[in-house]
Amino acid sequence: MAQSFRIADLTGIQVRPARLWTHSLSWILFVAGIALYAHFSIVRHRENPEDRVIPSATQLVQGMKASVLEPAEEDDPLDPGASLVQQVRHSMIWKDTVSSARRFLIALLLLVPAMLIGLHMAVFPYAGAFFLRFVLFFDKIVALSLLPILFIVFGIDEWSKIMLMVIGVAPTLMLDAYNISGGVPREQIVKAFTLKSTNLDVAYRVVLKQVLPQLINSVRLNLKPLALFLFAGEMIASTDGLAYRIAIMRRHMGMDIIIPYLLWVALLLFMLDALLRFTNRRLHPWYQPL
Amino acid sequence: MQRYPSALIFRVMNRTNSTHRKSSLRASFLSCGIAFLALLLTCLPARSVAAAPPTFTVGWSVYAGWNPYFYMAKSGILKKWADKYGVVIKVQRFDYGASLDAFVAKNIDACTMTNMEALDMPAAAGVDSTVVLVGDYSNGNDQVLARNNLTLAQLPGKPILLVQKTVSEYLLERAMVLNGLDSQLPKLKLLNTSDSDIVGAYLGDKSNQVAVTWKPLVSEILAQDSGVKSLFDSSRIPEEILDLLVVRTEVLKRPDGSGVKFARAIAGAWYETVAQIAAANAQAISGSAAASGDSVASYKEQLKTTYLYSTPQAAAQFSQSGDLKQKMDLVRQFCFHHALLGQNIQSVDDVAILYPDGAIQGKKDRVRLRVDATYMQLAAQGKL
Repeated sequence: MAQSFRIADLTGIQVRPARLWTHSLSWILFVAGIALYAHFSIVRHRENPEDRVIPSATQLVQGMKASVLEPAEEDDPLDPGASLVQQVRHSMIWKDTVSSARRFLIALLLLVPAMLIGLHMAVFPYAGAFFLRFVLFFDKIVALSLLPILFIVFGIDEWSKIMLMVIGVAPTLMLDAYNISGGVPREQIVKAFTLKSTNLDVAYRVVLKQVLPQLINSVRLNLKPLALFLFAGEMIASTDGLAYRIAIMRRHMGMDIIIPYLLWVALLLFMLDALLRFTNRRLHPWYQPL
Repeated sequence: MQRYPSALIFRVMNRTNSTHRKSSLRASFLSCGIAFLALLLTCLPARSVAAAPPTFTVGWSVYAGWNPYFYMAKSGILKKWADKYGVVIKVQRFDYGASLDAFVAKNIDACTMTNMEALDMPAAAGVDSTVVLVGDYSNGNDQVLARNNLTLAQLPGKPILLVQKTVSEYLLERAMVLNGLDSQLPKLKLLNTSDSDIVGAYLGDKSNQVAVTWKPLVSEILAQDSGVKSLFDSSRIPEEILDLLVVRTEVLKRPDGSGVKFARAIAGAWYETVAQIAAANAQAISGSAAASGDSVASYKEQLKTTYLYSTPQAAAQFSQSGDLKQKMDLVRQFCFHHALLGQNIQSVDDVAILYPDGAIQGKKDRVRLRVDATYMQLAAQGKL
């Protein structure tokens, strides 16, 4: 078991690294990234103690404190006696997270029908004939370029941003759902019919049931494009939201706020992804991903 | 599906079978690695430029008052002056935001910017900067636009489209203050809208009643919707929105004196260019209009609302006057109240400004922005 490590193993395929090795190796790039950042930050601060391009640890901590404990600049200041919970509830990052998360989740909900359409396209030939060509075409439209039109149709408030996300991601999801559902063997469908299934039984209880874990994985892969479209929308026109704050902070190089915000967004996305993965595993223990 | 991987494996095995192929494979790996390294190296900023002559880069962005830089470089005026002082001056176009980023990151030596950004970008980020040229001020280029004959007093509560934390917001605040509406300021509902989309967003939806923006966007909006009126414009706050050429102080102070030569060369070239524009030289005007892809007519219209300091005398005089201090004070207070000077700046005096007469606005030990009238004055005296 305790096999000694040989240099040649590094390029071997038939090796089983010890747990210690896999763990320590997986952190190297993180450490290297942090070290690189610290190096450049120190160099820049030595030259200019007030540098804002690569904020130092103290600046970052200050920025984090300000974003977690202080209300946004456009809001009223809090009474000095407010408790910690109140402070956080009225803080800049909380406000931005709530408004961004709302947009994100509404868009996510609107994507559910999109996946069902994809399923129908694969299962019902007439639905396929109706949708497929158009969706294939629409998938190639660069959603961002539609933004001026979205502004006119949906106004400049919430809906234009939500629709940007939906229009940007829905065609991809539809096509993915179509491909996945189309992969269900024809024999199964025929068999289900011989067992007296109705059309809807086949669509929802045979096909959907077994492609659902793959669909959830497809959504997981599309979380990042969703976030990208959300950011684009918020940066172009909004009054609150995580990307709004980043856009505002950019105006005066507030990297001490921007970097904590980026990390926070990454954490949120990671948690949402983990939640979906966990749910998937719980709901479909029989599904073994590649 | 299945056929591809096996074909691939077959090919790979074929290769590894022969030793000759193996070594060529290794060689190609090696050359790939070298190419990659070379690429990395070229990406790194070239720090060690060979001795003479010193090279300087000026960043500019599209704006009526800065477009002449494009003409100045293209027409050879800049080269003539640079040669006279034995320096090389490159002029590079940026997006406005990117030009400021590049300047703060010290990738370029000089940059065009407004007095507001000079204060809240380089100066507040600890990059000691010097204003060498006061080029013009916005004399109506920036406007507050509204539909339905709204008045300023009716703005609170209505969404206002603008690029927040820029001169647009400054103009809006000044409009409110000058009309005795200070108390209404917190009730304004600002909607941060990117300048690339503000025209479409405003014209496309009639429920967006108010927008604050600048020319040529203003002209586009006014031309396409006759129901839109200008409520307030920057000609009512003359000399407050200034367009400057800012040089990093450390560049100016280079011990070999090359920074000073650079400043002299660019000042000389600038006033030669501006004199041509003031004299309505067709070539200078069309050359500057071409900088932003504007038509000559549109550019002339923008110039009407841009007060160019067409003589160095005028620019030098204004830079040395008490007016400048007074106007800068308004701007720095605005920056401070909107936290544009940074989270950890506790007092407006922490980003101090030094004026040509030696007066300092703010703390003496925290001078970050300097107004230097030397080069404008030298130009005025014809000593360049």
